[in-house]
This record gives sequence, C-alpha cells and structure tokens, in this order.
Amino acid sequence: MTPVLEIAGLRKQFGGIVVANDVNLAIKKDEVVGLIGPNGAGKTSLFNIVSGLIPHDAGTVILNGQPIERLSMHARARLGLTRTWQNIRLFPSLSVLDNLIVAPRYYPGESILRAAFSPGRLRDQRKKITERAYNQLEKVRLVDAATRFPTELSYGKQKLVSIARALMNDGDCLLLDEPIAGVEGAAYEALKNVIRSEAKLGRAICIVEHNISFVRDLCDRVLFMFNGKILNSGTMDELMARDDLAGLYFGSET
Amino acid sequence: MEYAASIFILIGLFVILAASFNLILGYSGLMSIAHPIFFGLGAYTSSLSVMYFHIPVIAGILLGIIVAFLFSIALSLPALRISGDYLVIASMGFQLGVLQIIRNLDWTGGAGGVTGITPLFDEIARTSVLSYVALVFVAAAATVALVAWIVTGDYGKAIAAMRDDEDAFKALGRNAVTMKIVLFGIGSACAGFAGGLYAHYFLFISPDQFDLLYSAGILTMVVVGGMGTIMGPVVGAVLLQVMPQALSFLRLPAAITGPTQGIMFTGLVLIFLFLKPNGVLGKAPPRKTDDGDDDDLASVNTSPVVGKR
Repeated sequence: MTPVLEIAGLRKQFGGIVVANDVNLAIKKDEVVGLIGPNGAGKTSLFNIVSGLIPHDAGTVILNGQPIERLSMHARARLGLTRTWQNIRLFPSLSVLDNLIVAPRYYPGESILRAAFSPGRLRDQRKKITERAYNQLEKVRLVDAATRFPTELSYGKQKLVSIARALMNDGDCLLLDEPIAGVEGAAYEALKNVIRSEAKLGRAICIVEHNISFVRDLCDRVLFMFNGKILNSGTMDELMARDDLAGLYFGSET
Repeated sequence: MEYAASIFILIGLFVILAASFNLILGYSGLMSIAHPIFFGLGAYTSSLSVMYFHIPVIAGILLGIIVAFLFSIALSLPALRISGDYLVIASMGFQLGVLQIIRNLDWTGGAGGVTGITPLFDEIARTSVLSYVALVFVAAAATVALVAWIVTGDYGKAIAAMRDDEDAFKALGRNAVTMKIVLFGIGSACAGFAGGLYAHYFLFISPDQFDLLYSAGILTMVVVGGMGTIMGPVVGAVLLQVMPQALSFLRLPAAITGPTQGIMFTGLVLIFLFLKPNGVLGKAPPRKTDDGDDDDLASVNTSPVVGKR
C-alpha cells in the first residue's frame, strides 16, 4: 500500500540552525503516527514545511503519489492536507460555526463571482456545509457552542474547535500540532476518540505532542526527533525504554 | 447654488472614496495608501479619452473604471506577496511614481493639469447641476451598498477570516492572494469611478489633486468614521468635508482659515487615535486568541507531561 504522506530527504536550514536534516517519513492510511522530541527539535517546523508555510531547501513531500513540495499552502490543503496549530489560531471575529463554515476544502463563498451570479446554488452548498459543520462539532461535543465566539470558550474547547475546523477539510492527511495540550477531563477522552475514529475513516494522522501517555495510548508508531533529525521509531514504550533517547528528551545526562 | 452643489458633489465623491478605501484597508486589512492615484487614473483616463478619441463621456467614465482596475492589479500582483507595513511603502512608491509620469508627459497636460474637459451634461443649467448632485448621491449610495454586500454573507466571512489570521486561512485551502487582488481591484475601480465623476463636473484636473495629502485625507475619513464599519466612512467623509466648509462661513481672514483647517484635521486624527481609536461608529476589536508565534524554535513549550505510566 502506498503511503498517504511520504517525506524523503527533506532539509531546511535557517542560517546555522538545521531544523530539518534529511527527514524521511511515511504515513499510511489508518495510521496514527506520533512525533516527539524536546523543544526545538524541529517538530513544528516540520509541520510548517510540510503544510507549505515555510519553503524547504531540498527533498520531496508526496501526498497520495503527487509531489506537493512546490505548491502553495492553500493548494496543499485543497489536495487534502490539513493541519492544526500549536496556538490554536481560530478566527476571533467569526463565531465557532462560521470558523468551521469557511474551512471546507472548497468554500463556495470564496468566489465573489459565484456569490454575485449564482446565489441559488450557493445557498444549497451553504446548507450542506452548515450541516457538515454541525456534524464536526457533534464529534467534539461542542454543538452548544456553535453561536459563541472563540474567545468566550475555554482554552481546551478552543483546541477542540480548531480540530473540528481541520476536519471540515475531509482530507486524507491530518497534522495535529499539540492537540491535547491544555485539554482536560471529558474533552480529553472525546478528543482521543475523535482522532482514533478519524484514522479509521482512512486518514493518515501525524501528531506532535508532549503528553506521553496520550501518545502511547493513541499512536501506532512514534518517531523521535532531535536537532532536525528523526533518530528513531517504534512504540512509545520501546522509545522510552532507551535511556539515550529518554535522556535527550528530558534533558538529563546519561 | 452652484457652490452648494459642488460641496454636495464633493461629499458624495468622498463617500465613494472613503467607502471603497474602507473595503481595502478596514475590511481586507490591506495597508495601501495609494487610493487617490486610482481616483486620479479614473479622472485622467476618462477626460483624456473623451478629449482625444471623442468617445461619449459615459464611455470615458467606464474606461476610467477599467483602467483603475487594471492598474490596481499591476500594483497588487507584485505587492500583495509582501504584506503589512511593506505594502504602505510599495503603494506610496506606486502613487508617487505614477504621478511623476503624469507630470512629465505632454499628452497628460503635464504638471499644469488638464483643462477644457467635456462636461457630462452639456449645459451648466440649474437642472443639470441638480441632476449631477443626484447622480453622485446615487453613485455614493450604490458604492456603500456594494461594500455592504461584499462584506456580509459568505464572501464577507472569508474576508473576516483572512484579516484575522491569514496563514490559518490559507492552511484551510483558501486562496488569500486571489481574494486580496479582487478586493483591491474592486475598491480601486470604485475610486476610478469617482475620478470620472469628478473630472466631468469640475472640468479641471491636475496631478496635485491626487497627491499624498489626499491619501491622508481619505485615511482620516475612514479612521475618524470607523474603520471596518459600513457607515463609518460615510460619517467620516461628511464630517471632514462639512467642517472646513463651515469654517469658511465664519468669514475669517484667509491667513487664519487655511492653518485652522490643517490644525482641525491633525487635531481630529490625534483626538480619535487617543480617545476613540475605532472611530465614531467602530466597535472594540475582538481579543486575539494567540500571540502569533508558533515556531518550536522561538516559543517556550510546555514541558513533557509524564502521567499514567
């Protein structure tokens, strides 16, 4: 089976700092891959390069067999690659529902010509999109918050909204940057179930996360990143059993 | 009568300019200050094409709208790749550059400007003056309605999201660059329309009328009225057109009137910046959800959480 997302020989350097040093990585359908490593290892930078926020220096990024490393960020999203952000980044002037409504892979309201000349078709599509938005909110149990504004919600709920927003894309590949940080209680379990069921829908999911028990529970495979390089892969317990990696992660000398 | 009419016409034209500039600056968040150059391009295109090619005035005004639109794309295609503060400089350079070209060409009338422009209505009689006022008011109302239509509904949601967080917006698959070019083009075309209406009533245009001073004037109208509100620019344009006129009715000596108007403008900007930065009709902006920095290298992350081992 060809992987959904395949990264080969990816390299990126900011001045003297190498944030991605010959990164090779493949994520298959139905797979949840964890990406761990100490602060500054280049995990978020890897997401930024793969999603198209920052340009790469060398290497390839292939989504469903198609090279995407030269495409713009929005073009990659339209091919089914979505991401969330470590610091959430909801749109504060839109309601929770509208945050989701502007998020599908094709948003008909984006074209002013269509808005002007085929308002009828637009209305039908809007109805479908609104329905889908409610479905995503249902998944993260936030239907009640639909009409509220992001800043009125707790940090954890904002995180959940941002994941629901990313799910609006219905893409094959999902990059989640610290989805669980700040999420507690019932929302924690809800989020775990959402990610698991989304993977079962045939998506390839990559998670950057510091919460080790969350990664252990959820991820089929865990990659350990350090100084822009993927040092090792395995299950969480295998990685943590290795003193050298644990030492790098927790900063203690071994 | 004619004096009052020209004040009303100027008010109407500045409503068009302020409302369309508000679409660019207030709603789309594009920091361009070159709005008067599109006003000027509309005025020059319309009056010169009527003069040299003897096309009907209406056709000239339409041509002015098209040329303003095309020039806006010439600016936005390269300039919108950069954003924020740099766009201010790029747009200023564009404005001064185009003005310099106009000043130095023969067929544009050079620095002296264009005289003898064909009026839209043949005879300057009482009825034609009144109908011009009516025409400009309808045009102003139409512009405000157009902006209102653009910024509400599905397209308006996209605009708000783009202004809030452009990168997050792009990451969802939205083509922000196209949207910005379209919005910039629409706003500039409106300014071109106002230019045509201006030229064929006042019948004289010169490069000085489209200089940076007018960028500041339109900017003041939008800021004082309320950036990012539908009626704010209308309030701002009326206020800043009426106040200097009211001052001139006080029959002060010219040596006092001139500087007083300058002080009034500057004072208004300062007062509003300090006391009511969102303008007469503006609401307080929503709080940001983040500090805009998400790089692993730069931010301080939460330390590893070890639990339930």
